[in-house]
Formats: sequence, C-alpha cells, structure tokens
Amino acid sequence: MNQTDFRILAIAPSTRGFGFVVIEGERDLIAWGGRVARGDKNAQSLAKVEKLMGLYRPSVVVLQDAAGKDSRRALRIKTLNQQIIAAAGKRKVKVALLTGKQLRTLLLGNAAGTKQEMAETVAKCFPERLASRPPRKRRPWMNEDGRMDVFDAAALAVAFRVRKRGWRASGTRTTSGPAVGASATT
Amino acid sequence: MPSSLPNYLLTNRKRLALSQEEVAFLLGATGENKGVKVCRDERFAREPSLRMALTYEAIYGKPARELFAGIYEEIEREVAARAKILLHRKDREPDAESARKRQMLADLSGRQSGESANRSSS
Repeated sequence: MNQTDFRILAIAPSTRGFGFVVIEGERDLIAWGGRVARGDKNAQSLAKVEKLMGLYRPSVVVLQDAAGKDSRRALRIKTLNQQIIAAAGKRKVKVALLTGKQLRTLLLGNAAGTKQEMAETVAKCFPERLASRPPRKRRPWMNEDGRMDVFDAAALAVAFRVRKRGWRASGTRTTSGPAVGASATT
Repeated sequence: MPSSLPNYLLTNRKRLALSQEEVAFLLGATGENKGVKVCRDERFAREPSLRMALTYEAIYGKPARELFAGIYEEIEREVAARAKILLHRKDREPDAESARKRQMLADLSGRQSGESANRSSS
C-alpha cells in the first residue's frame, strides 16, 4: 500500500461523545470533528464510529488504551473502546492502542505533560487546520473545552505517526528514534 | 485496502472555513436547504455533474482530478484496462500510424501503475 493511501482514524471518546480525526498519507488532515451522544451514549457513539469507518475506510483505527493497568478511564469508556475494537475487527481494520504515557512521551518527550500542552503541540502540526481554534486553557473551576476531544484524537493520530514513521511533532521528520515535541526541540 | 477517497470536498471546505450553505451559494444552488446538496457530495452520496465539479474547482482552486481523486483513479484504471484491450487489437497492424497509436495506448495502459509507483516512492 502506498503512503498516500494510508489512512488513520483516531477516536477519542469523552463524556460528551467523541472526537475524531482522519489523517491520510504523510500528514494530511482530511477530516476532523466531534460527535455528541445522548441517552445511550455507547450505542450512539458506536453507531457514529461505524458510520465514520464506512465513510473514510481507514487502514488503522487509533484509540487510547483504556484497558491498561494505569488507565483511569470510566467503565463506560472502557466498554466503548472494546466495542470499537470489535467493530474495527469486523471490518478487518487494524487497531492501534496507545497508553496515556506513550502518548505524552511521543508527543512531548515528557511523560508528565498536560493535555493542554499536547493540544498546543498538535495545533502546531496542523497550522492551517487546527491552529486557529485551540481549546482554551482550563481553569480549576471550568469544564473541559468541547474542542479538546478533537485535539485528543489528533494527538493520538500524530503520536501513532511519530511511532510509526518518526515524525517530529514540531513539523519535521526525524531520521530515527522517537520524535519529540516542541518543548524538547532545538 | 483503501485507495483515495472518492472526493476531498469536505477537507477543502474546512480548509477555507466555509459553511455548506456558503459553498452551496457559491455553487449557485437555491432554496431553503441548499446546504444539503453540498452535504450529499461531501458524504459521497452522489457524484456531481461536470458543471458542478468545475465549479468546485473554481471555488477551492484545486484541479478536479485532485478534488475527486478517488473517482479519477477509478476512471484511470478503467481507461488503462480498455487501452490494454485496444493495444492488443492493434498489435498486428504494421503501418506507422498504428505504431504511433500503439505507443500512445501503451503509455495509457502503463500510466496508472506508473503513477502509483511514483506516489509510493515520494
């Protein structure tokens, strides 16, 4: 399969529904957005994810590893992740799982990075598409920004690419080893 | 395994931060739910007409073969297959004109695989 045809669908479930991004080829962000689920959130989210898989025919679906022993995701999200993995299996689409630690290390070069830092790094990767609308910085009394789902999904996709191809999150490609984020670049 | 998507209209619309309604207006669509037409195109529910495809090209500033990459690739494959058949038929004609034709058909039948190879190497 050539690189232009390699499509990644990254999904980041949340309390509201889920965010998704589709990256094709080297680093072309072809679709992104959030989907809201109400009522039976898992059933609705799963139906929407399946619709996206049908529409974009991804080569790989990237999810956060919610079943890891360090994961503190809600039981509903863990169940949804399993359902998405099963749905991808039915379509013979590969699934890649990244733990939160891997995600932060690959993107920021720092396992203790924050979601906000990841969002800012990801926005730099897609200046034309995502940089104009980064999520606002969350204060302790504020809810998480609705756009954060999309940035979480984009972070998953970029981290997967970094691991697979040696991308540098700042925009250039590394020749070997894991890529590092803006904080660690020279 | 996936090849290009049938079209990249949604990607280009989002790149320019246009709404479906705005694109529909630019396309010259009328009526209350004119954005629906753009939505159908973006979700691959229908193939737009030649006029519509050229209007998209004018709006997004990209050639139609890039905007409708999947459809173009499919057509290219079909043409290459037909060119092979025609090349086989013209094989036995010895004159110069036929030689020129054979050359063109050989190029045409080989173009698809050549372009795929170029893309994978880039």
